[in-house]
Amino acid sequence: MAGMSATSSEMAMTGTPSLRLERHEEGGSAIFSVIASGRWTVHDVAALAGQLDGLLAELKSGRAAGVEINLSHVERLDTAGAWLLEQAAELFRSSGLKPSYVDGREEFMILLSEIQSRSLAVQPEDRKIGAITGLLADVGRTTRGILDDMASITGFLGALTVTFGRVLMQPWRFRWTSFIHHIEHTGLRAVPIVCLICLFIGAVIMQQGAIHLRSYGASNFSVNLLGVLSLREIGVLLTAIMVAGRSGSAFTAAIGSMKMREEIDAMRTLGLDPMEVLVVPRVLALMVVLPILTFIGSIMCLIGGGIAAGYYLGLDWTAYWDRMQDIASVKHFMAGMLKTPFAAVVIGIVGCLEGMKVGGSAESLGSHVTSSVVKAIFIVIILDAIFAMFLSEVGI
Amino acid sequence: MQNGSDTQIAKSQGDPIIRVRGLTKRYGAHTVLENLDLDVEEGEILGVVGASGGGKSVLLRCIIGLENIQAGRVEIFGRDMTAMSDKARFEIDTRWGVLFQDGALFGGLTVLQNIQVPMREHLKLPQPIADELAHLKLSMVGLAPEAAGKYPSELSGGMRKRAGLARALALDPEIVFLDEPTSGLDPIGAAAFDRLIRRLQRTLGLTVYMVTHDLDSIFAVCDRVAVLDGGRIVRTGTPDELRRSPDHPWIESYFCGERARAAMAAT
Repeated sequence: MAGMSATSSEMAMTGTPSLRLERHEEGGSAIFSVIASGRWTVHDVAALAGQLDGLLAELKSGRAAGVEINLSHVERLDTAGAWLLEQAAELFRSSGLKPSYVDGREEFMILLSEIQSRSLAVQPEDRKIGAITGLLADVGRTTRGILDDMASITGFLGALTVTFGRVLMQPWRFRWTSFIHHIEHTGLRAVPIVCLICLFIGAVIMQQGAIHLRSYGASNFSVNLLGVLSLREIGVLLTAIMVAGRSGSAFTAAIGSMKMREEIDAMRTLGLDPMEVLVVPRVLALMVVLPILTFIGSIMCLIGGGIAAGYYLGLDWTAYWDRMQDIASVKHFMAGMLKTPFAAVVIGIVGCLEGMKVGGSAESLGSHVTSSVVKAIFIVIILDAIFAMFLSEVGI
Repeated sequence: MQNGSDTQIAKSQGDPIIRVRGLTKRYGAHTVLENLDLDVEEGEILGVVGASGGGKSVLLRCIIGLENIQAGRVEIFGRDMTAMSDKARFEIDTRWGVLFQDGALFGGLTVLQNIQVPMREHLKLPQPIADELAHLKLSMVGLAPEAAGKYPSELSGGMRKRAGLARALALDPEIVFLDEPTSGLDPIGAAAFDRLIRRLQRTLGLTVYMVTHDLDSIFAVCDRVAVLDGGRIVRTGTPDELRRSPDHPWIESYFCGERARAAMAAT
């Protein structure tokens, strides 16, 4: 590389940037020359900035009448260097000297006058707020956000109900294709993953129950534990969380990207109601699919428990199901299934609503997909807790 | 201090600042650029034109090293970019700036922070100086000081391009690559952007490599135009030369059509 070898020998010759002060008398008053030399580029300004203050002190002590900034030795000047020279000139100006540039190359002067013309009113920093005020402000903002969310979810639920009512009155407007499509994607394709997760969790609950109840001599009751738990809670929650993560996020992403590309607006101008076209089929599909998935999930939970029971309780397959038949009553099953359509509505509404809130940027899409999943799971769990209390109060 | 003008002195006067020889770029069986030659002289504004999908952007990406090339060499500042160590490349990176089509600002950072990214990465500047310099760049590209604290998603397309240009200029590069700088801007905004490029090029002594569709900007700012057709540069010349003697069907339809006449009349 010929360029490289030449470079090193040139290196010594190119000056590092510096400022030097010279004094000469002119008509009884002292004129100072500040001689700038070397390369004044963005790579060097940090080193130069420190030299300015010392220079000013020296100037003041010398009782200067005027100051020239001599640029004849400057090898290279870029905006950063020019900015620094202007800083120096500004400093001189503010201390009553009248600085002038001399011997600069033409392009330097163009650049300097360009910089000079820029009024660099650096915006005052945002008012500094203390840690505690900041914390309180954050709490306030978050609370406000939660209230806003509640309001918008309620509003969306209302709008959905109205649209649903209209579709009921005019059933030919219902989008069957879309409905079936979403049943396939949110339901059929979720079956393997729901099965797998519920199978493992069922086995784990049985295993843990067997081990920990053994110390009370009650390890056999782990079958009761699993039977009630999986039918009432685990099947519902696991499936809802899985569906919120899989399909709620997909709803938000799909609707959000349509929002980003103004497809939703285009729909409105074409006389299509996005609520009817996009939201109703999705929410209805979820309401059909989630109970079915929950049923499958609960059964898989029991099967997983049965496998674990074989290992840890020594209960064989038929004995396990015999006992399970006594425990797993229709009551428990219904208590679980009752919750699923509500969970489906929550997941569907949150997913679609977050999609509708997406703004113009990809970042906004990403953050809304995340918050869609988080909010849906959160609300599903809250709902589940409320149901658990209510159902035990009414004795189911 | 490590790079600066050293290599520039080593490079003999009058050599092109960018020299592309025999560049070939294929995607699978599809050849986009074939045996392409191109020179960019120091201090000029070169416009690269060509049909949509003709490889203008690919050529730009090949030159700045974002794409691997199958054959040929790219020399910038007289140094072969294809056979360069990563460390040398890192240093060369400070000597050019790139403006991508939609600004390519980092969405998680404010405009001011975006402009400071190259400063932080390559220089050790005290924060106050970095702030002042970033504000200076912002003002040079014609953005109001209020834009400094905004996020890219809060800016209009034209403002994003200006902010992207400010970031490209953050380290006072010698070459600026612009990918369709005026696309998506309204005619007034596009004309203002053209003037901005011209003015910055004059004050900072930049070399500008500009991919464009826009006939107005070609006639308004380009010193020279290179026409890309069929995977190679078929002609270079001043916009006027190309208009007077097209000698090529694509150039003729491009430079001698209705729109070209209007653009010509406007300048």
